[in-house]
Amino acid sequence: MVGPPILFLCALVGYPFLYGIWLSLEDRPVAHAGTFVGLANFVADAHDPVFWRVTINTFVYTFFATILKMVGGLGLALVMNQNFRGKNLIRALMLLPFIVPTVLSTIAWMWMLDPGFSVINWLLKYFGLANPGPSWLGNPTLAMISLIIVNVWRGLPFYGITLLAGLQTISPDLYEAATIDGASTWHRFIYVTLPLLKPVIFIVTMFSIIFTFADFQLVYVLTRGGPANATHLFATYAFDIAMGGGQLGMGASVALAMLPPLALIIIAMSIYMKPNKS
Amino acid sequence: MANIVNAASRRDVLKISALTAVGGILGASRAGAAPKQMTMMHESSFIPAYDAYFKNTLAPAYEKATGIKIVYETVSVGSIQTRDTTVAETGTGPEMAQMAFNWPFLFDQKLVDVTDIAKIIGDKAGGWHANSAEAVVVNGKWKAIPFGNIGQLMNYRMDWFEEVGVKSFPETWAELLEAGIKLKKAGHPFGFELGHGFGDNHGWLYPLLWSFGAREVDKDGKTVAIDSAETAAAIDFCREFFQKTMFEDVLGWTDVSNNKAFLSEQISCTNNAESILYVAKRDFPDIGKVTGQAQNPKGPSGERFHMLNPWTHGIFTHTPDVQAAKDFMVWLMDPKQVAGWYDVADSYYGPFLHAYDDASFWHKEPRNLPYRDSMANSHLPGWPAPISRPQSESVAKYVVVDMFAKACAGKSTKEVIADASAQLKQIFKSA
Repeated sequence: MVGPPILFLCALVGYPFLYGIWLSLEDRPVAHAGTFVGLANFVADAHDPVFWRVTINTFVYTFFATILKMVGGLGLALVMNQNFRGKNLIRALMLLPFIVPTVLSTIAWMWMLDPGFSVINWLLKYFGLANPGPSWLGNPTLAMISLIIVNVWRGLPFYGITLLAGLQTISPDLYEAATIDGASTWHRFIYVTLPLLKPVIFIVTMFSIIFTFADFQLVYVLTRGGPANATHLFATYAFDIAMGGGQLGMGASVALAMLPPLALIIIAMSIYMKPNKS
Repeated sequence: MANIVNAASRRDVLKISALTAVGGILGASRAGAAPKQMTMMHESSFIPAYDAYFKNTLAPAYEKATGIKIVYETVSVGSIQTRDTTVAETGTGPEMAQMAFNWPFLFDQKLVDVTDIAKIIGDKAGGWHANSAEAVVVNGKWKAIPFGNIGQLMNYRMDWFEEVGVKSFPETWAELLEAGIKLKKAGHPFGFELGHGFGDNHGWLYPLLWSFGAREVDKDGKTVAIDSAETAAAIDFCREFFQKTMFEDVLGWTDVSNNKAFLSEQISCTNNAESILYVAKRDFPDIGKVTGQAQNPKGPSGERFHMLNPWTHGIFTHTPDVQAAKDFMVWLMDPKQVAGWYDVADSYYGPFLHAYDDASFWHKEPRNLPYRDSMANSHLPGWPAPISRPQSESVAKYVVVDMFAKACAGKSTKEVIADASAQLKQIFKSA
């Protein structure tokens, strides 16, 4: 019974992973035989100023997007956990950003962030707040902020729905007992809700960090890493080098650079979230 | 151009094959029976008639003449390189495919040497333009058959230029700057891509660099030459051009942005392929009437340059019957067939063969003639160095584009040249 899943994992996860490692150790032009070069590609990355810019970008993007999704998702779940009319419809609608293919929704955002057509800029202009409106994708800082906002918009439902499922497993008896003991709403949230949600938050955050850290589509459609590399992430930079430049070995080394920080983040979070620590 | 394909009879096809075989040019003869089917992979064109012509006219004509079915497989815009890479890496899939830029160099080991048929095709159609070899000749061998150049030129609003007293398109970058200052003041800024698109950024920035006499790398393809007074002058000009004629958003533009901005009347001038005029005439006739096209301006060197943006056709080495694929390519590029294909695209794909220098499709829309005339001074990124792997890496990393973009965003000329030079030295270390 264990055989098929193991084979499946080896074929679809193990082989590509190990092949990726092997590629990163080769000078491997596209459609040419590779030459083993050891760590030369990683050394070249270390001397590449764009690589370091990409590293900073990826951490900034992941950190802010994950924090905002976590806080926003928790708020969304708490609201959705209340009883109100049309609750089921709203819950279903909430999933829309997550269901719509990323490329499509990102194209819609591209129009919304275009200064000439932007509804945001139109509103800013209408209320006399800015004229002309900001250049959302032309200014390096605003471009990163815009990407984070779009990522949060897209990822929020995943957090919201998963945390909502977690909230619904908490027994109402616990809240009743806390209320009888004189706990305020805030205290019930801090001492009942949060500790019991911690395992769910942990799992969702781990997934979110992995997805956000390795994000590709959103950046590729909106900015392709511009302006001047201000929004390049590991995945988009690796793709440009491997596909655009035909340097598969170097592209693999950039992609593999994601591995150590991701592994460290996951280990650190696992230690922090251990039940006995709470 | 009516029914030109029908003129190609089975006899024509046999004649081509016989000629090549008798001449011993094509080398090995076919080992077994002719294949029943072959596939040609292409990026889908934004001109629907272009793809339809192959599917509905060329492929059936070839099948009728030879019994070999040609499948025309289209892939979405922007994904052809990924598909070509997959086919080349795995050795399975279409026998023939469209390439672009310097890909025949990247995939050279997986592409059949087509020097023999290139000569046949060239001889039959007035010979090849000199620069067609830039993108396909690898170590002295033709690795693909040049098909057409998608020129990148100036697209501008003739009416708005006239309103500020500019009757014809400026001859030099300095004059264009002058016109741009007036147009921006009149509420019609310029919009040239400085972001990370596929080609509209390289399309004007490399020619700008060259026209100032600057070069990214020396002719030897090894010595980094970006750190020069000419580069500094080009950067200073670009910064001024950006600040005085454009708006901040162009720093984040990708390739669709300038088309969108021009067709929504946000900008008065940009650098693009013929697609802006084509779409304007089709969907925005009022804008189409006042859209002009011109060659890139001359720089202080007195020369003007353009980006070479070649579409070529290669045959993969995994093709079971290479001879059959070569025969098809010779048939396809025969003026009896290919002239009709060029014609339906309204000169969007500028032929690399001299026989078409004065073809009727150039005169259907005289505003497209600058695209024809730009061929003589069009080059690939990295020129005058030959195509190379480091050059591909430089383009993929947007070294030259970002050098200009960072200067426009506020960094000093010295700083951006130092950054680009350091990056290029690292990239070309292995050359």
